Parts: sequence; C-alpha cells; structure tokens
Amino acid sequence: MPARSDTATLPAAAGGGGLRLRWPLRRLLLKGTGDAQSESGLKRAHFRDWRLPFWLLAPQLFILLLFFFIPSIRALIQAFQLTDPFGATTQWVGFQNFERLFRSSVYWSSAQVTLIFTIAQNVLTLSLALLLAFASNHILRGRGAYRTVLLLPYAIAPAIAGIMLAFLFNPRVGPVAHMLQGLGFDWDPNRNSWHALALIVMAASWKHICYNYIFLVAALLSVPQSILESAYLDGAGPIQRFLRISLPMITPTLFFLIVINFVYGLFETFAIVDATTRGGPAGATSILVYKVYQDGFVTLDLGSSAAQSVVLMALALFLTFAQFRFVERRVNYSV
Amino acid sequence: MRPFYGVLAGAGAMLLAGMSSAQAATEIEFWHAMSGALGERVDEVVKRFNDSQKDYVVKAIAKGNYDEVLNGTIAAYRAKRQPEIVQSNERSFLTMVNSGAIVSTAELMEQQGLPVDTSKFIAPVVSYFAINGKLQAMPFNSSTPILFYNRDHFKAAGFEKPGATWQELEPQLDAIKAKGVSKCAMVLPGDYEWSFLENYSAVNDIPYATKRNGMDGLDTNFVFNKGKLVGQVERMKRLVSSGVMQLAGQGIIPIQLFTSGECSTIIASTASHAAVVAAAKFDWSATELPYEQGVTPRNSVIGGAALWTLKGHTPEKYKAVAAFYDFLAKTDTQVWWHQATGYVPVTTAAYDAAKAQGYYQKNPTREIAVVQLMRGTPSDNSLGFRIGNSNQINVAIMEEVSAAFLGKKPVQQALDDAVSRGNEALRRYEQLNAGKK
Repeated sequence: MPARSDTATLPAAAGGGGLRLRWPLRRLLLKGTGDAQSESGLKRAHFRDWRLPFWLLAPQLFILLLFFFIPSIRALIQAFQLTDPFGATTQWVGFQNFERLFRSSVYWSSAQVTLIFTIAQNVLTLSLALLLAFASNHILRGRGAYRTVLLLPYAIAPAIAGIMLAFLFNPRVGPVAHMLQGLGFDWDPNRNSWHALALIVMAASWKHICYNYIFLVAALLSVPQSILESAYLDGAGPIQRFLRISLPMITPTLFFLIVINFVYGLFETFAIVDATTRGGPAGATSILVYKVYQDGFVTLDLGSSAAQSVVLMALALFLTFAQFRFVERRVNYSV
Repeated sequence: MRPFYGVLAGAGAMLLAGMSSAQAATEIEFWHAMSGALGERVDEVVKRFNDSQKDYVVKAIAKGNYDEVLNGTIAAYRAKRQPEIVQSNERSFLTMVNSGAIVSTAELMEQQGLPVDTSKFIAPVVSYFAINGKLQAMPFNSSTPILFYNRDHFKAAGFEKPGATWQELEPQLDAIKAKGVSKCAMVLPGDYEWSFLENYSAVNDIPYATKRNGMDGLDTNFVFNKGKLVGQVERMKRLVSSGVMQLAGQGIIPIQLFTSGECSTIIASTASHAAVVAAAKFDWSATELPYEQGVTPRNSVIGGAALWTLKGHTPEKYKAVAAFYDFLAKTDTQVWWHQATGYVPVTTAAYDAAKAQGYYQKNPTREIAVVQLMRGTPSDNSLGFRIGNSNQINVAIMEEVSAAFLGKKPVQQALDDAVSRGNEALRRYEQLNAGKK
C-alpha cells in the first residue's frame, strides 16, 4: 500500500487532472486478477454520512453529465438516425449508418492511418520526452530555464501549432521544406502521403512532449537517490543508471503516459490535423477523430459522424481496458 | 431621500429614452462569411443601407467561413436564436431549401409588396437560386471562375496571351516551365471541384449529373466518369505530375502563389480581383476559362453565396429584411458592390450601368466574368447544380480526384469511385427528403 500511494501522489502533485479517473478504474478492472491486494481499508472509514461525499463529487459529476454523458447519449441516439442538419426531418434507420461505415473502404483506410499515427506519435513523444527529461535532470546550470522553454509549446493552441508547421514545411514557401529540398530530399507533403503523415505526427508530438516531460521529470526526481548513489559506487555510468534503475522504477508513469498519449492521439488531434493537412492529400492523414469532425461539422453527415464517434468511444474503452489488463501486468509498482 | 429619487427618475427617463429610440428602428441580424477586405465591404454596404433610411438597422456579424456560418446557423436555429438573415454558399442550396427553416425570398418580397422581377437578373444566377422562377434566396455575392495570368511570364516565354482552348493553353504552360520562366506554370486552386470540373462541364456543355444536373429531381445520378471529364482529370493529373501545375497545400492560399509572382496562372473566382489588385507587383491580366477545341463554349456557372431569410421572426423584422434586399438589388448598390469587391453584378441593369460609366474600359478584366456568365442561353448542362448533401459529395470527389493526382488510383477508377460515393450520398438525401424539391 505505501508503495502505491507513493506512485499515486507523484504524478498528481505534478498537476495531472487525468489521474482522477485512474484509481477507481484500476480497481474496477483489476478485480480478481490476483493483483488486488485489499484496499478496502481506506474506503468507508472516512465518510460516515453519504451526503458530504455526494456534495464533494457533485460539481465534477455535473460537469461530466453536461459535457460527457448527455452528448454521448445524444450521439448514441443519432447514430441510429438519418437526420437533416436543421432537424426538420429525422428517420430511424437502424444500423444503416454503421453498415455504411464498415462497408466504406475510406473508413478502413482511415482506421489504418489512425493506427500508424497513434503508435508513431506515442513512440516519438515518449522517447523524446524521456530523452529531454533525462538530459535536463543531468544539467545543473540553467536547469530551470531549460525546463521552462521545454514546457512552452504546451501553451500554444493546436490550430496555431498546426498552421505554423504547415507553413514551415510547405514545399513551396516553407523555410524548413526548402532546407530539406536543399539537402536533396524531395519533401512534398502535398503529394506524398507519408510526408503528410510524418508532418502530423511531428505536430501532434511536439504539442504533447511537454505534457509527457512534466510527468517524467517528476518521476525521475522521485527515484530514491540512495539507490542511484549505491549504483554509482558500484561503477554504473549515468546511462546505465538510467536504463537499469530509473527507467524500471518509473514504469508506472510510463504506462500512464502511454495510455494518455493514445487517448490524446485518438481524440484530441483533430484541430492539429485540420490546421496542418486537412486530412489530405487524398485522405492520407484523415484520422478517425478528424473524420468525425469533418463528417459532422463540415459535410453535415450527422448520422455517420455520430456512428463514428460511437465506434471511437468503444475503441477507446477497449484500448484502455486492454492496456490496463495486459500491459500493466508488466509494470513494476513496488519500489 | 430626495436626491436618491431624483437619480432614480433620471435613470428611468434615460431608460425610456433608450427604449423609445430602439423601438423607432427595427434591428435585424445578418450573419456572413466574409473576412478581410470583403468583410469590410460587407460592413460598408450595410452601413450604406442603415444610413439610407431611419426605420431599420442591419447588424452585420462575421461568423467565420461558410461552413462555420452554416454550423452556427444550425445550432442557433435549433436553440431558437437564429438571426433574420444568413449568408450561405451556392452549394448549400438544397440543404437550405429543404431545411424547413427558411422563408423563400420570392414569398417574403411579395408579402412586403416589393416583388422581385427575376427577368432583370443575370440568367445563371436566377437558375441557380430560383425554383420555378421563384427566388428562394437573395443573390448576394455571385462569382464565376476566370483565368488570371502573369503577362510578364507569358511574354518571357514568347506568348502574347493564353490560348482560348486547352489545346492551345497546355503547350504554353509546358513551355513556361520548360524555358525556365517559372517553376510553377499554374497553381491548382483549392476549389478545383468547382472551377475545373463543374464549370468545365458547363462551359463544354456536357452533363455532370442526370436530370439536368439535379434540377429536375432528387433522383439524379452523377455521370462525370465518362467522356470529356475523364480527359480533363487526366489532363490535370499530367500537369500535376509533370510539375507544371503545383499544389499550394496547407499553410498558404493558392492565390498567394499567383500574386507573389511564383506561379504564372491560376483559375480562380473573379472575386480574387481584390487579392490580385492588392498584391500583384507585375503585369497581370485575365481571360475567359479555357475550353475544349471544337466546342462552342457555353456560360460558366456561378459560385459565391446568397442571403437566406430564416423563419421564426416578427412581421416588423421581415419588413426590415425586405427593405434590405430591395436596397441590395438596386442598380446603384449593385454597381458599387461589383466594383468594390470583384463579384459580378446580379442584374443586367447594373452591368449596363457599369458599362455606361466606362468602368470596363479602365478595368477590362472585371467584365470577363459577366460576359462569360451571360454568354448564350444556358443549356441543360450549364443551368447550375442542384445536388443534395453537396458538402459530403464535394469532399468525396476532391478526395478521389486527388488520389488520382497522387497516382494512388488510375483516373478512371478514381472517377468511378467518386461517382459511386457521390451517388450513395444522393440516394441518402433522396431517402431523407422524399417528396421534396
């Protein structure tokens, strides 16, 4: 138990609201997997009356109701309807929207793109953030300044980040694109699908590295100095200490970040895609969440958009479940 | 106590005064999609109307691009907070007509005793926005694509001007690139579905969809995967893959590549005049859309937007709307709007007035779009397009055609796929709107 609360307070102290969901979810999912050392000691003792916890939870629940449950239910209903954008005519069409979706080759290629995109984005974000966290922990002079600079991109709006990157990498006018072309690399995201995909992976990662970085810096700081020092005395170099000691000890944070990065890649990247490539060329960067946005808000195909968001919601639930169920087994929680 | 009551009475008087002055003029909201210089022109035309009389005040509010305005309108309508007037592009015609949310312009104007005489309007404008001769929306900013070109580049490559047909123009573009005059002989516009496909089919008089491009019913089918249109996409693909025609991509607007002098030509809306005049530092000109050799070119079709009147307002508000539309259709307003924005005048009277002023002698390129729109009598293929779910279809067609450009699919297959995706969306529209226009 103490080990757990230790890892729990660490990212939470670093400012993550995302953690709130984590523990109840973990309890729920891990029930009966053998890992469930009893945690009932904490639960009931603190609140004798139901009213106080209810009022403490109420604001958050209200927000969830307003911004999550009601829209989700509406999406669920709309997924089975064909409707005029203005709401003049509505027909119940059963599973027609879903059938259409799964028959559509465009949707499957979008799913494929999404898979590549989320994995690439996750790997790139996490490894760069890890590298930066490792490096900035080893720098003594001006460490604060480095950290501040590294955190800045998080404050930039996704649309601005996207447009900036689109401009920098524009094969006609972008300075970075000209540099690449000068090096003999035929860079053209307007005509090459892989270049376009690389561009949105870069844009999405760049925006999210800082988030990963904050958590990793905090996690690395929590690695007990005594163990590192004893390894040092045994002759382990900084890289070895990092790989053999720090890295295994921060696996809970890494795991948490992997989940968060997947959720980010799946759900929060449509603004970046919209600003960077608009899903093009020829749908090469039209990831699932961008399609939900495009079909719902640009082309007003509300039924299909709703069906897509239901599929995406199910996918996210499944992924999170799978990650907690299978990946977390390998995570070392005890220090 | 006295001073307090005094203040209260004063405040009350001020409140009453404020109310009575507000009551004197009926205020209506007008949501539009014009930004930059065009947004300023909209504010100007609204100000002119507000200054011209004392009974009504129009409040123009920019709500983003066309998609955003439409989305905002839908959200507002569903929340019963819709504005009186909303600007929506030509593509959304059926969406708006069948929304159940609008009052047709013809009906509104008749009720207010200011009937619109559609015979005074330019034909392709009326055929687009009217059903059985009844205007559904008030034509506002109408445009059509024309070919802008860099005269310096053409001269440097040894040409006087662009050829009238594609067969003449293509070798010229190739030569501009081959001679090293410019690395980019043409830039593909963002709305090429409109300028390169729809307008191509109108000008060359070939069907795009059955039932007179949807004018005769919702059971229309796309047929652009045969004949000349396949050749047109093949041509575009060849131009793109040989590097003669460049794609602007994200981060820059295609017209900027023309005005910066980087690209030699662009087929763009005549409303681009504003951008070209403001930014082009070279000898530029414009000409009519190229067509296929051996064809007598027909009129091109319009783009741009019209003003839609939304349901659910009081008679006084509609009176104000009608007065505003009446003002917009006035020849003076039209002439001013045409000259200030580059959009075409929507009435023949306004065109004649601009001509009489000698405007086209000084600005010959401003006349191209009008002449091109008024060329001949519109045929079944050049009346315009009445396509349901058109936003969806537009995206699908662009996606497929660009897949052909990238070499992901052969042109024929891309067009077949575009047609089948388009038809699927048409059938869905038919299913939902069975029995409507």
